[in-house]
Amino acid sequence: MKFIGLVLKSARRSKRRTALTVLSVAMAVFLFSALRAVLQGFDAVSAASSAQRLVTIRSTSMIFPMPTSHGEIIRGTAGVQDVTYANWFGGIYKDPKNFFGQFAVEPESYLRMYPEILLTPEEKKAFLDDRTGCIVGDGLAKKYGWTSGDKIVLQPGIPTYGSQDYPFTIRGIYRTSSSAVDNQSMMFHWKYADERSIVKGQVGWYVTRVADPDRAAQVATTIDQKFANSPYETKTDTEQQFSAQFASMLGNLNLLLGSVALAVVLTTLFVAGNTMAMSVRERTTEIAVMRTLGFPSSTIFMLVVGEGVLVAIVGGVIGGLLARALISAEMLGLAGGFIPAFGVTNANVVVGLGLSLVIGLLAAVIPATMASRLKIVDALRRVA
Amino acid sequence: MGLITNYNLRSMIVRKGTAAMTAMGIAMVVAVFVMTMAIAQGFRGALVASGSNDNAILLRKGSTSETVSAVLKPQLPLIESMPQVARSADNHPLASPELVVIISLPRTSDGQPANVPLRGVGPRAFEVRNTLQFVEGRRFTPGMQEINVGKQAAIRFKGLTLGSDVRFGNAVWKVVGVFTADDASFESEVWGDVDLMMPAFQRDGYQSVTVKLVDPSAFDSFQAAVGNDPRLDLKPDRERDYYEGQSATTGALIRVFAIFVTAILSIGAVFGAVNTMYAAVAYRTREIGTLRALGFSRLRIVTAFLAESVALALVGGVIGCMIALPVHGLSTGAMNMTSFSELAFKFRITPGLLVGGLLFSALMGAVGGLLPALRAARIPVARALREI
Repeated sequence: MKFIGLVLKSARRSKRRTALTVLSVAMAVFLFSALRAVLQGFDAVSAASSAQRLVTIRSTSMIFPMPTSHGEIIRGTAGVQDVTYANWFGGIYKDPKNFFGQFAVEPESYLRMYPEILLTPEEKKAFLDDRTGCIVGDGLAKKYGWTSGDKIVLQPGIPTYGSQDYPFTIRGIYRTSSSAVDNQSMMFHWKYADERSIVKGQVGWYVTRVADPDRAAQVATTIDQKFANSPYETKTDTEQQFSAQFASMLGNLNLLLGSVALAVVLTTLFVAGNTMAMSVRERTTEIAVMRTLGFPSSTIFMLVVGEGVLVAIVGGVIGGLLARALISAEMLGLAGGFIPAFGVTNANVVVGLGLSLVIGLLAAVIPATMASRLKIVDALRRVA
Repeated sequence: MGLITNYNLRSMIVRKGTAAMTAMGIAMVVAVFVMTMAIAQGFRGALVASGSNDNAILLRKGSTSETVSAVLKPQLPLIESMPQVARSADNHPLASPELVVIISLPRTSDGQPANVPLRGVGPRAFEVRNTLQFVEGRRFTPGMQEINVGKQAAIRFKGLTLGSDVRFGNAVWKVVGVFTADDASFESEVWGDVDLMMPAFQRDGYQSVTVKLVDPSAFDSFQAAVGNDPRLDLKPDRERDYYEGQSATTGALIRVFAIFVTAILSIGAVFGAVNTMYAAVAYRTREIGTLRALGFSRLRIVTAFLAESVALALVGGVIGCMIALPVHGLSTGAMNMTSFSELAFKFRITPGLLVGGLLFSALMGAVGGLLPALRAARIPVARALREI
């Protein structure tokens, strides 16, 4: 510890160089934290998903609907507590680029099924009472500047919903209590869409709550068996499996983001290692003098490593804080709703700091070895 | 210029350790840039290759993709009878009415279900899309429950090999052929007879009609003819333009990601170059003083040091391109946001992309070298010469 002053002194020797190195480590930690936040967003969704909820879709693919009669059959299955259903609307708000999730839901049972959707009692009542009412997530409302009472118009994007525009009144702006439900979606009355649909009574998927999560897999199999060999065969999974499958469809994110993160670390290692080497080379004579004065080579080694770690940690703190401040859930939400909105957490920052520590250590090891192995005579003779 | 450039290049070699580290930093950035852009290019390439300039695709007016379009059965003969539609040797119009639905199949790699596009096509589809080549088996027989499978789909999904039975739409279909299509998105699809797909998926119409035109230049008159027929509420598009549009959403997302990552990463690498160049200038203060005393102008000094920095960065750029090159041709998959299904494509590193990577590295070198070069030029001659 008594050498901390020496370490600080050598870090200040070339202020510009130290500052640039600190900033390049900061950039790396910033990028690393942002990438981790995206990955964690996906993980968080499946981790927060309820083990008590099952999702039933058509076995062919979720784009094909099922009849409403499936609902009663599912409700009658042993172990099922509650059932609700929903449909994907896929409407266009002003421009096809404004993509967000729009779900036609059976409002009462849907809100019962997802207690994570938070509404005030007044908002809930207003939504249930208005056939053309809808609720939107606070993230989505913020993006388009909507407030309660606003009227919005969606143009149906799927031919089965007819060709007329659908006007809606926003009756509530919901918050979420868990990342199992995103705050970038809109829900409205299933009946409203059904009245205007060319084919009536179509349901995209059923959501079932089972009484005992340990028997979820068994209930899922029982549901699917009931519809086996019917024209509308089903496939039932727990919500967790369902969201994991969805994430895997986006492509191999782990591999892509992992390789980018590796490149980030390597780049920073080259930059920081180079700086440390430069700084050691510049101080060759000084180090030789220190050795002559009796500093053991292990102390010299520790001094250089200490400097590397110091510079890297300062960079890590700056990068981590920057990421914490700049990368918010809303910003990731802008990427089109397919990426779960999830900001940089404190845990991300800690991991970033750990990373900067590793960078600092690795970058300093070779220069520190160089410094500690200096031959005093050669070093003192050198003019530079 | 010769002497001074030579001097700078040689000093770079003298300080090879530092130079190599800086170049490697830049190399990593360029490698990330080239690889991520290769994903965007490959994705777009797979879709653009699907479109031919000779073909036109008709969708319902206002539809942005096949999945939300509808073409009525009686409209097909109206289109087929148009003079702009090419005919086969036996005088059949080259038009293919199509229907695309999504079926769920387990992936070979992890057994997870993924969305696979299933395209019902007309009997003339293989003449309309003449890039299709069968690598195994034969075309499906119209009216039979047979399917053809794109090569990528056959590799990526379980149970699509030649001769296997696939269950969907409440029927069992036999795989009778595997085809390639010049890396186009069709290779990720499953094809069957559109007249059997419609009842299997409870559809009573087509989604699109693709026709081969007698000549690419006939498109304008074809468009006018379709527009003038009140029975056709359809809009023709050149097939290539249509598929290019289909790649826009996901392509843009990948590009934004690539640019975001490389922009931030490049800042770090540029700082590394700045450090190196400042050190280079500091080491050579005396030499710079000598050059100035010999009569080299400040401008020459600035350009020389800039050139050194750019050259260093270009070395990094070349290494970065070489690191990235092996991924060319590797195939991967990603979801196409427009069709909501998985599209297999190959990383595509084009010469243009490599040039872009090199230009990018040169830019990093120029930005990183600018301040140190200015510092070099501003050194007062007398003081520089006095330095040890």
